[in-house]
Amino acid sequence: MAAWDLSVTVEDLGLDAPPVTISVASDLHIGGVILKLVEKTQIKQDWSDHALWWEQKQRWLLRTAWTLEKYGIHHKPLRLGLPNGITLRLRVCFSNPVFQTVMGICRMLNIRHPEELSLLRPIEEKKKKKDKNLAPEIYDLTEVPLSSVSRPCLYNGMPAHFADSPEMEAIYKMLSVTQPPPAPEVIAKQYRPASVVDKAHINGRWLDSSRCLLQQGIQENDKLWLRFKYYSTYDMDPKYDAVRLTQLYEQARWAILLEDIDCTEEEMMLFGALQYHISKVAQSEPQIMSNNPAMDDLDSALQSLEVKMEGEGSSASDLLENMTAPELTDYLKIFRPKRLTLKGYKQYWFKFQDTSISYFKSKEESIGEPIQMINLKGCEVAPDVNVAAQKFLIRLLIPAPEGMNEVYLRCENEQQYAQWMAGCRLASKGKTLADSSFQSEIQSIRSFLAMQKTNSSSSSANASEESINTHSLVSPRYHKKYKPKQLTPRILDAYQNVAQLSLTDALMRFLQIWQALPDFGLSYVVVRFKGSRKDEVLGIAPNRLIRIDLSVGDVVKTWRYNNMKQWNVNWDIRQMAIEFEGNVNIAFSCVTADCKIVHEFIGGYIFMSTRSREKSETLNEELFHKLTGGHEAL
Amino acid sequence: MDDIDAMFSAMLGEMDLLTQSLGEETVPPEALSSTKKEVNYSIGFTDLNESLHELEGNDLDALMADLMADLNATEEKLATEIEGLKAPSNSQPDFPPPPKGLSTEPAPSHISPSSAGSGSSNVSTPVPSAASSLAPPPPPGAKPTVEEIEAQMKADKIKLALEKLKEAKVKKLVVKVLMNDGSSKTLMVDERQNVREVLDNMFEKSHCDCNVNWSICETNPELQLERAFEDHENLVEPLSAWTRDSENKVLFQERPEKYEVFKNPQNFYLWKKDKRTLKDMKDKDKELLIQENFCGTSIIVPDLEGVLHLKEDGKKSWKQRLFQLRASGIYYVPKGKTKSSRDLVCFVQFDNVNVYYGKDFRTKYKAPTDFCFVLKHPQIQKESQYIKYLCCDDSWSMNLWVTGIRIAKYGASLHENFKTAEIKASNSVWTNRSTPSSSNQSTPSPTVKAKSPNQANGHATKPQPGPISQNPAPPPPPLAEVLPPPPPDPVLPPPPPLAAKTASKPTPPKRNQPNNFPLPPPDMDNLPPPPPPPPTDDHLEAPPDFLPPPPPATGFSSLPPPPPSFGGVDHSLPPPPPDPVSLPPPPPDPVFVASGAPPPPPPPPPPPPAAPVATLRPAVRTSGSLKKVPPAPPKRTAPTQGGGGGGGGDFMSELMLAMQKKRPDQ
Repeated sequence: MAAWDLSVTVEDLGLDAPPVTISVASDLHIGGVILKLVEKTQIKQDWSDHALWWEQKQRWLLRTAWTLEKYGIHHKPLRLGLPNGITLRLRVCFSNPVFQTVMGICRMLNIRHPEELSLLRPIEEKKKKKDKNLAPEIYDLTEVPLSSVSRPCLYNGMPAHFADSPEMEAIYKMLSVTQPPPAPEVIAKQYRPASVVDKAHINGRWLDSSRCLLQQGIQENDKLWLRFKYYSTYDMDPKYDAVRLTQLYEQARWAILLEDIDCTEEEMMLFGALQYHISKVAQSEPQIMSNNPAMDDLDSALQSLEVKMEGEGSSASDLLENMTAPELTDYLKIFRPKRLTLKGYKQYWFKFQDTSISYFKSKEESIGEPIQMINLKGCEVAPDVNVAAQKFLIRLLIPAPEGMNEVYLRCENEQQYAQWMAGCRLASKGKTLADSSFQSEIQSIRSFLAMQKTNSSSSSANASEESINTHSLVSPRYHKKYKPKQLTPRILDAYQNVAQLSLTDALMRFLQIWQALPDFGLSYVVVRFKGSRKDEVLGIAPNRLIRIDLSVGDVVKTWRYNNMKQWNVNWDIRQMAIEFEGNVNIAFSCVTADCKIVHEFIGGYIFMSTRSREKSETLNEELFHKLTGGHEAL
Repeated sequence: MDDIDAMFSAMLGEMDLLTQSLGEETVPPEALSSTKKEVNYSIGFTDLNESLHELEGNDLDALMADLMADLNATEEKLATEIEGLKAPSNSQPDFPPPPKGLSTEPAPSHISPSSAGSGSSNVSTPVPSAASSLAPPPPPGAKPTVEEIEAQMKADKIKLALEKLKEAKVKKLVVKVLMNDGSSKTLMVDERQNVREVLDNMFEKSHCDCNVNWSICETNPELQLERAFEDHENLVEPLSAWTRDSENKVLFQERPEKYEVFKNPQNFYLWKKDKRTLKDMKDKDKELLIQENFCGTSIIVPDLEGVLHLKEDGKKSWKQRLFQLRASGIYYVPKGKTKSSRDLVCFVQFDNVNVYYGKDFRTKYKAPTDFCFVLKHPQIQKESQYIKYLCCDDSWSMNLWVTGIRIAKYGASLHENFKTAEIKASNSVWTNRSTPSSSNQSTPSPTVKAKSPNQANGHATKPQPGPISQNPAPPPPPLAEVLPPPPPDPVLPPPPPLAAKTASKPTPPKRNQPNNFPLPPPDMDNLPPPPPPPPTDDHLEAPPDFLPPPPPATGFSSLPPPPPSFGGVDHSLPPPPPDPVSLPPPPPDPVFVASGAPPPPPPPPPPPPAAPVATLRPAVRTSGSLKKVPPAPPKRTAPTQGGGGGGGGDFMSELMLAMQKKRPDQ
């Protein structure tokens, strides 16, 4: 157990005397502390009527057999920045290895698999004079008693200590529900790594997980960040992982927004669309993050019962109604840009049925043969909308044996546009107007139109429900490239593919797309390979190491862990040496991070990969320590 | 009430129309769509008659069998309905009491079978639940008032009719599949079938080794393109995109590149490594690669990047670009920009395009090499600016790209497909060994028979394993039931059925039985279609084709159990399930099971000695869950005996006549 310093003011030395500092470990009992004090002060007298007074807590430590840990002396408040940007103040263990401290934190916050997270020193915030009043709110959890139970008992789906008061419940909600999109200025203000080297510097900030906070110079009330360190998410179950899933999403979202991980413009739009959808659904659907299996069963049972009743209750006429597919009819204008013809828009009577649009000269003639019938299945649908200019165009690219036919439909107003657009969207996916998603599709189109409206009128950053500034959904690069109203159609375009997802599915989809990015999971460190004269970057991923040539920016070499035979750290010269199968040996020293950090990353990932094999629920702390501890493990 | 009756009869009328049009056009009558473009139903043939002329004798037989199965299925449904309305004149002696009681609760006896079936398989857990669910709603007749019952019956009938309507709308194509040896097989594919099912069907017909490389491919001679359909794809849809005058063909051939990525993942995921390392890759490392890339929370697309030649719009010139494959699409690096993700320009996303191999593009388009692939919307059939042509330096990189694109486009489905294909392949090995002499379809050899059952199971295979493992014991009852029609004796049926599914050996016995059967056909119709399948096959040479449809069967079974109301009305509550033996109907249940079973559960590997019981359960379950989804259940599955009355269109009846003539000859 790691030792730390305890300062004690000894009355008998006089009121002005400096406190006596002794080195203790958390498993030292109070009697032992007194003994040490006596030895240190060298005052020979009868100490039997003395006791320790814990000033901050205003209590006597009278039980000499209790350890410091039991009294909670080594637990001090810490300000903890979470991936979602919220800062908590909570008591954490300062004297156990950080690995255990993190376990304690995760236990309190109800995050499973704490081995995937760790603490790092935050990036110094640029100090601006005016920021004083903007000091972020801190949510206090210091009153939460620490439990040593590995799995907190749940109450209403949250750990019991969060169910105590409405305030605590509110905090839990903040942990388990995604945050609304940040104002664009907030994104712009954050530190953004501009290069791989910048990213590498961030990894120098991880705390050593085998040593305690005190040993690493962390003081009471210091601020640390809690982050997912190993990009190897194991056994994610939305049912039990409300906080974990939410925080992982938040970390991923910020990684995208701050360009910590690169993506293409198309991907950015999709991430934007998912963020928009997630924030919308999270606000509208009050979280039933119930972790109570019994409740879940009941819920689903009730639901299926409902469905059944509906089914049985439906009369013949209902059935018939369902059979006669709903349709849309209206006067719209159509334009078919063909080479050499510039006829412009012509008005017809349109009928939308199943997945097809047909049009007639007029409503009166709609009983006969249509002038044309267009099946929209498999077509591409794109909006061309300008609310301010009252332009509501639907652009259709309709596949035909000869190629794609371009058709524009012009609607008169928002309402009409939303309906027909929704119909086209569904039809392009082979769904009919009878599909249950029709109404919600209309809704989402309208809310997007509303977004464009507010964007054009006021560019206020207030991200309230209906008016999300699209700049809140993309990285600052795109703030410069596009105006909010230019972004809207692009995000809307991507949105149509995700609009029907449930909150959990949307979160998972976001994570999946994130995880499918080529650079996903890479933690960079600037290193100097043995025999090389220039700095290079080592990328550490869940399954491999890569070597990046800084001058070219290219991956020049990849080594996979499954070919790794052994790795060693020469702590004296701070050099890592790794041997791979086939007599491949590499050695490097680390420039932007301590080699312990690199060692821990590699050992940590190897530990992560062992998890699937041993299905046991308990965390194999010992193995983790062995793989990551370095010389301290010996 | 009258209104409902009127509506109902109107619907029946429409049904008939639809059925007729089905017969005439071969194609699903898309009554609603009058567009010309939609008309290209029969593939490669202008119309059915023409296509029929082109068919060879045995093709005709096969087709006939298919059609009859459809027809019979429809008729059965119809018959059941009618039964409900009128006294069951059709019902044969086999039929138990239920049919006659019109006003009484349980008019439709066929439901009872299902219940009976479940009852018989008490052992299996799922069954009981199903039975119980049924039971509650319509407590044996007594409780509900007569009016209620009548009302419900009507509602049920309407439901059935609606289903029929939907069923009639199901698109079916007669597809001529070219074999490697230049011969061809003709089969009927309905729009609910996926390529996997069609492949199984072809395995049945061709007696090939069933390895995972077998694919159904389409070629487009005009564009000089070809591609293998993915196993999970629907076949009818892409074929429907063909133009009337299309010269496109459907091929059945081995394509080693189809699942190469699962056999040698290193060639795709570590392609930058030197060839020797790749060749010497250890199995466990391959396994790990598959794990990493296909079994995680997201599917990882191979990290491809390279210079490809892109055909310029409308010109015969090709320019080079640096392309990159990502999960979200293909991108290229614009001139003067870096390879950084944010500078990439999206070339194409995969939602609306398929990837095709180009053939002989050097000649056709002056491509730099012949290793070309194409991305286009599946509906585009002719030259168009919307087709994207790309050319690689060698076949190796072409396969890399095409496979990478498929992974990006289809994701986890590919892996699922492969796992299924592997199972099929290993099953077939087993079967083949056991029955070395797989004879041609024409010969009524037992082997064939065995095979067909297997096939049916084939679909079911996946599901079976699960259940089987759970409780193997129960099997016997279902089997017995299956046989029921002819020889209700329990002796024969018990063991074989189960075995048949998995192994070829057991099948033989079955076969014999089916042969005996021939008589019952008409009656059978009343009964749920299920039982007939195996026997039918025997009679008809082409039977195997039918088997594939399994899913439909499920649907059938689903009908009865699910809607409690149903049970109450049409088929009174499954009477007293306990005595399956006494009731003739029971057989149907098992049948369903066999065919229906396949669809439900997907993955489990196929244990050879699967027990029928297991199958049963899944079926039962499925039906239970399906309840509400009546339309889905394709009757097709149930291959009724050819005998079925000629309720269908003229064409159908003609075909049937032809068939009947044939039979005696045999």
